[in-house]
Amino acid sequence: MTLLAVDDLVVRFRTRDGTIHAVNGVSFELEEGERLGLVGESGCGKSVTNLAIMRLLPKPAGHLEGGRVVFEGVDLAKVSESDIRDIRGKDIAMIFQDPMTSLNPVLTIGEQMVETIQAHRKVSNSAARARAVELLSMVGIPKPEARLGDFPHQFSGGMRQRVMIAIALALEPKLLIADEPTTALDVTIQAQVLDLLRNLTTEHGTALILITHDLGVVAGMTQRINVMYAGFIVETAATADLFESPSHPYTVGLLHSIPRIDAPPGEELVPIEGRPPDMRHAPAGCPFAPRCAWRLDVCWSENPPLRAIDPTARVVSTGAASTHQVACHNPPTREEREAGRPLGDRYHPAPPPSGALDELSMARVGASAGEPDGAIGETADVWPESSSVSASPSAGGLPIDPTDR
Amino acid sequence: MASIASTGPVLATERASRGIWRDALRRLLRNGPALVGLFFIALFLFLALLAPLLTPYDPVVGTLADRLQPPGSPGHLLGTDLQGRDELARIVYGARLSLVVCVGSVLMGLAMGGTIGAIAGAAGGRTDAVLMRTVDVLLAIPGILLAIGVVTWLGRGLPQIMLAVAATNAPIFARILRGSLLANREQDYVIAARSIGAPRLRVLFRHLLPNSLTSVMVAGTLALATAIIDVAGLGFLGLGPSDPRTAEWGTMLTDSTQYLRQGPFLIFFPGVAIVISAIGFNLLGDGLRESLDPRLKR
Repeated sequence: MTLLAVDDLVVRFRTRDGTIHAVNGVSFELEEGERLGLVGESGCGKSVTNLAIMRLLPKPAGHLEGGRVVFEGVDLAKVSESDIRDIRGKDIAMIFQDPMTSLNPVLTIGEQMVETIQAHRKVSNSAARARAVELLSMVGIPKPEARLGDFPHQFSGGMRQRVMIAIALALEPKLLIADEPTTALDVTIQAQVLDLLRNLTTEHGTALILITHDLGVVAGMTQRINVMYAGFIVETAATADLFESPSHPYTVGLLHSIPRIDAPPGEELVPIEGRPPDMRHAPAGCPFAPRCAWRLDVCWSENPPLRAIDPTARVVSTGAASTHQVACHNPPTREEREAGRPLGDRYHPAPPPSGALDELSMARVGASAGEPDGAIGETADVWPESSSVSASPSAGGLPIDPTDR
Repeated sequence: MASIASTGPVLATERASRGIWRDALRRLLRNGPALVGLFFIALFLFLALLAPLLTPYDPVVGTLADRLQPPGSPGHLLGTDLQGRDELARIVYGARLSLVVCVGSVLMGLAMGGTIGAIAGAAGGRTDAVLMRTVDVLLAIPGILLAIGVVTWLGRGLPQIMLAVAATNAPIFARILRGSLLANREQDYVIAARSIGAPRLRVLFRHLLPNSLTSVMVAGTLALATAIIDVAGLGFLGLGPSDPRTAEWGTMLTDSTQYLRQGPFLIFFPGVAIVISAIGFNLLGDGLRESLDPRLKR
């Protein structure tokens, strides 16, 4: 059964510098007990999407401009403030990135846990404390009774994140949103916290949205991954599918920019050139086009919608068997995916319509000027100079053969 | 082996009993200048609270035969003034009055400014804009001028003086509290509290205010110092207590200027009393700021 359906979510921030187009029509669904990864770089709208789901966008700048967030049949964007407050914590809970700042420094752990429990359940103080002890031992905190009286600063980072998980799971929510829960932790602690999250969500049948910029974190945790870029979902696929055949140039770029232990010796990492787009401008065309090596002329003018790679397949939008969809006019071929760049002299990246220098062209100009910068030097290797532009595939004809997966 | 293994958690629980306030107190007691401040304030409180025990004389009634005795005269340690009133008695009873007026005015200021700041910070939007622009207008007027205005408007008397000094402090407290509330509002733990469904007022009173109060507490302690000077200033300008005979440091200073040649010590003692108590609160305020600032945690 569908637990959460986000439909065409649009979030804008009105700031003095102009309107920030943070989320530009994001749609996805989540089954009960499903674990979904939301991956993208800083500022791509992944955290904002989830704050919008919880209606916790920073005021007064943040606005939910459009779309629906249907949770168990109720549109959260439309319910009253007291109804959403009722849902927060009880049905949907959140874990934040930095456990150092997400606990109130002047209240003890016990007070904060009891508060959470009593916010939604009429239970006595002693019953709430007993539940708190149970929760703390569930997340692996030694001597939970004694530690209830401790203040947050008396806990280490990993322990605080465990406390946060305990608080989030206190009321057995149906959905847990974890916003980069391990980013601020040591690598060894990361694994423990992720294990804990996986075990507890599996045990209680809690659905999980795991927000991260680290593909390594979602790999073992989620059934499905949404890749976000500049406020759009650019690719969605079952986790194994995504790692096996990434189909958006951005996903390919992400996967090629992490070192892999099983990579052939001497293989170079391929960086994604340029910077994320300025979110103050409403995107025209594909938001990734300025950084994309696969771009065509059409990419500058038309933003591709999310489409199934196999046009004949029935679209399944949730679960481990979900359909692989990508928003791209010219997805990389299988060989290119493996190489992490367009191969041979298939084509040049299409120049921007205005003729102005864009991120990629600037990198190439720098390279031809003989700059000794490593990254720029690599760029020149990636796209060998060639003037012959071979026939580009048409925008509609996806060059990926579904059988090659 | 077992004993070694058990030391860790035991140490942890021993440390556990310490709250952030106790940590702050510990840091405060290690702070030299703050201790000096505490000593001055203790002296001030001692004089104020034990005034009737420290001197047999009435601060208001004098013996004209004993007028203008120099300090060290038999029976009058600090001498007597023009009306033959004992200077020591006037200083200690003056401390009592200063204490009441200063603490009262700062508490009034905290209540007024705190309420305005809390409403502005919690409500935001238009309410915030209107309240804060009003506060800006008040802040634009020099404190002592504002206090003079209030006293001339409401007439002389202790409650009026308290209100006048409170009016000079309230805008400062309002601004500080609002700023701190705004800074804390976007903190993760506040969003976390909201994300578990804590009601708005609960978030305000349990999460936002306790974390925003430290800066107001520091400002309040520092305001006690300025309140002492403001009250003395009003007294010096002739806007002191309605009964001109009342022992008030500022009024004593004004009176003594008229016979400075005959009794120069009469301007010295009230001056020293004002300086010592003001410095005491200032040093304590600075010490509090340092010990409550988590960034300076050692």
